[in-house]
Amino acid sequence: MNLNFSDEQNLLREQIQKFCNSDYDFYDRENFINTESGFDPEKWKLFADQGWLAMPFSSESGGFDFGPIELSILFEEFGKFLVLEPYLSNVVLSGYILDNSSFDKKNEYIEKLISGEEQISLAYMEQNRNYDFKNITCLLEGTDSLSLNGTKNLVLNGSNADNYLVTVNHNDVTTIVVINKDTEGLSINNFKTVDDRRISQLNFENVSINTDQIVSTGDEAEQLLKDAINYGTLCVSAEAVGSMESCYLKTVEYTKSREQFGQPISNFQVLQHKMVDMFIETELCKSLLYKSMIDMHENNDSKYRSVSALKSQVGISGKKVGEDAVQLHGGMGVSEEMSIGHYLKRFISIDSQFGNSHFHLKKFNNS
Amino acid sequence: MELSFSSKDIEFRDEVRNFLANEYPKNVKEKIENGDPLTKEDIVDWHKSLSAKGWMGFNWPVEYGGTGWSPAQIYIFQNELGLAGCPPLIPFGVSMVGPVIYTFGNQEQKDRFLPDILNFDTWWCQGYSEPGSGSDLASLKTKAELVNENGKDYYIINGSKTWTTLAQNADWIFCLVRTDSSGKKQEGISFLLIDMKSPGIEVKPIITIDGDHEVNSVFFTDVKVPAENLIGEEGKGWTYAKFLLAHERFGIAGVGASKRQLERLKEISKDLGDDDLIAKVSQLEIDIMALEFTELRLLSALEGGGNPGAESSILKIKGTEIQQRLTELFVEAAGEFAIPYGGPDGYGSNVKPNGPEYTNDALSKYLNMRKVTIYGGSNEIQKNIISKFVLGV
Repeated sequence: MNLNFSDEQNLLREQIQKFCNSDYDFYDRENFINTESGFDPEKWKLFADQGWLAMPFSSESGGFDFGPIELSILFEEFGKFLVLEPYLSNVVLSGYILDNSSFDKKNEYIEKLISGEEQISLAYMEQNRNYDFKNITCLLEGTDSLSLNGTKNLVLNGSNADNYLVTVNHNDVTTIVVINKDTEGLSINNFKTVDDRRISQLNFENVSINTDQIVSTGDEAEQLLKDAINYGTLCVSAEAVGSMESCYLKTVEYTKSREQFGQPISNFQVLQHKMVDMFIETELCKSLLYKSMIDMHENNDSKYRSVSALKSQVGISGKKVGEDAVQLHGGMGVSEEMSIGHYLKRFISIDSQFGNSHFHLKKFNNS
Repeated sequence: MELSFSSKDIEFRDEVRNFLANEYPKNVKEKIENGDPLTKEDIVDWHKSLSAKGWMGFNWPVEYGGTGWSPAQIYIFQNELGLAGCPPLIPFGVSMVGPVIYTFGNQEQKDRFLPDILNFDTWWCQGYSEPGSGSDLASLKTKAELVNENGKDYYIINGSKTWTTLAQNADWIFCLVRTDSSGKKQEGISFLLIDMKSPGIEVKPIITIDGDHEVNSVFFTDVKVPAENLIGEEGKGWTYAKFLLAHERFGIAGVGASKRQLERLKEISKDLGDDDLIAKVSQLEIDIMALEFTELRLLSALEGGGNPGAESSILKIKGTEIQQRLTELFVEAAGEFAIPYGGPDGYGSNVKPNGPEYTNDALSKYLNMRKVTIYGGSNEIQKNIISKFVLGV
């Protein structure tokens, strides 16, 4: 048994930390929130140059064969600084599906993704599906000339994507097709999320699809979706753990500098114990993260169950830590110009993604 | 990173399992399974079975008669004991005074006391808390005055200790006593070993809310203790006490025992078909998983030669919260069968055979386990420790 990171993994963490510390100032980040893309294209370019966009891809696809442990490190560090760049939608979700599919044109998409040239988003959610990626209502019909009708919702980073991986129902078989944003019959509505990300609704009206756009079908497609979503769930949970760590550290720092009644408010035991609770919640979630990422790394049968335990707990603990951080910052905690409230909004958003706490508790119990 | 234990450790785990399957006293096992109280003899039998195997000193170095096990082996041993439902080891000898004696005691003391601890021939109890000194332990007042009689040095002890667990069974007590009241309160404390048969010692039971006699008051009136029973130097008792606390924290999370209880609760909640209870049990299972991996992270740091430090206070806080939560859910599962109370021997178990087997000791355990967040440095004190040493406030 060994729960210590390797030297290479520690080095990766240092590299990401160095970038975040020098290039991810909160006030600088604010400048990109209201731009059209919602992130900094220069940083995305830097991610590509550093090789970060290639991390989890197999070496045959031009990647580094990094796995769940390295991605958890990356997301934990991203979480500390509320990094906006669309790594999850591109590299984790779409990247996983492309890399592990038998799609013969996958390399041209992967190459452009790794180089930062193009972006690609996964469109798998529909209305009232309650986190179920099967039972798809978007219908792909016909035999020789295929036609797609239906609506996809909550497509992460949809407004920045050049292409979409869309899940469709083709003769009651789950199928994933790749569709360009400029395709005729596709209309896109873009929205902002509560945590300043970009999200889209895709409407397909008699969109014609060629068979060479089919990425995967049937059991392979369902397994790819299941595993990509599990991967994504791990990554946002790791991000939440990083955000939790920032929240308690920032709160400790703030209470040490804030003076009331003639002394730093950190002198008050009621606040000290609340901060200790925040620290404990963070460490316990970190332990669940370690279990999940190693279960995934070792491809153990328990990997889905561990991730459900993690996601369920992170949903509860993240909000708890975020709310306490706001409370202990007093009025500053509810100010838009301070980072603390933005962490809380990110926790809310993470809890609602890929199945909330309640959903994963039930999934954990039933598996 | 790797989750599984080495094949050597797995082999060791199987050896522990094998021992517990074959050599764990059967009558003790039955009583535990039926929720019956254990007698002093039962507890001695159980410890003697470990002594016979050479495992009593599970956390001691080889040179003092211990096993010399690695941190991983110690973890596995304690975990397996918990999973098998063994009674908790009486910690006062093997985990508390033993390590203090072999670390700070002289050769004569080591020769005199250590073998009896390993054979469980001496039952030790702990003389720390006083009526006026709980969390503020350093304020203790029990006085030890050095006198010389016929060329021999003695300490004369006056004062009282309280919450002394199983003092009624004890042969010896290790005490923190005040040898100096002049300076800083921590600096006038000494660590003294006292024979419970000494004239002037009186043990009075304290009955706890579960109706059980587990703890006591111990009164000292002009008790004469040979000065050779002093551990280390006079005035250094506080340092030894802190060392002891650090030693005690290892394995305090009680994950193995909690997992065993959890499995039983899972069966019960599914039999009852109570979705609300099932959800609560699932949440508890996640809490236990998080605690287990927190302990493994600390273990991994220890194995790598690191020092777990104040973070181990998390184990005390969460471990005890989970132990209490388990008993709460057993009471919830027992429904109205929780309330018939008071066995024939006066011990606070539920009356049989009113309800299902799991209702027998549901409430007595619930009441008894209120102590765990209070003892060993209350959970509030643990939070003070984390606040000071980890958060730096």
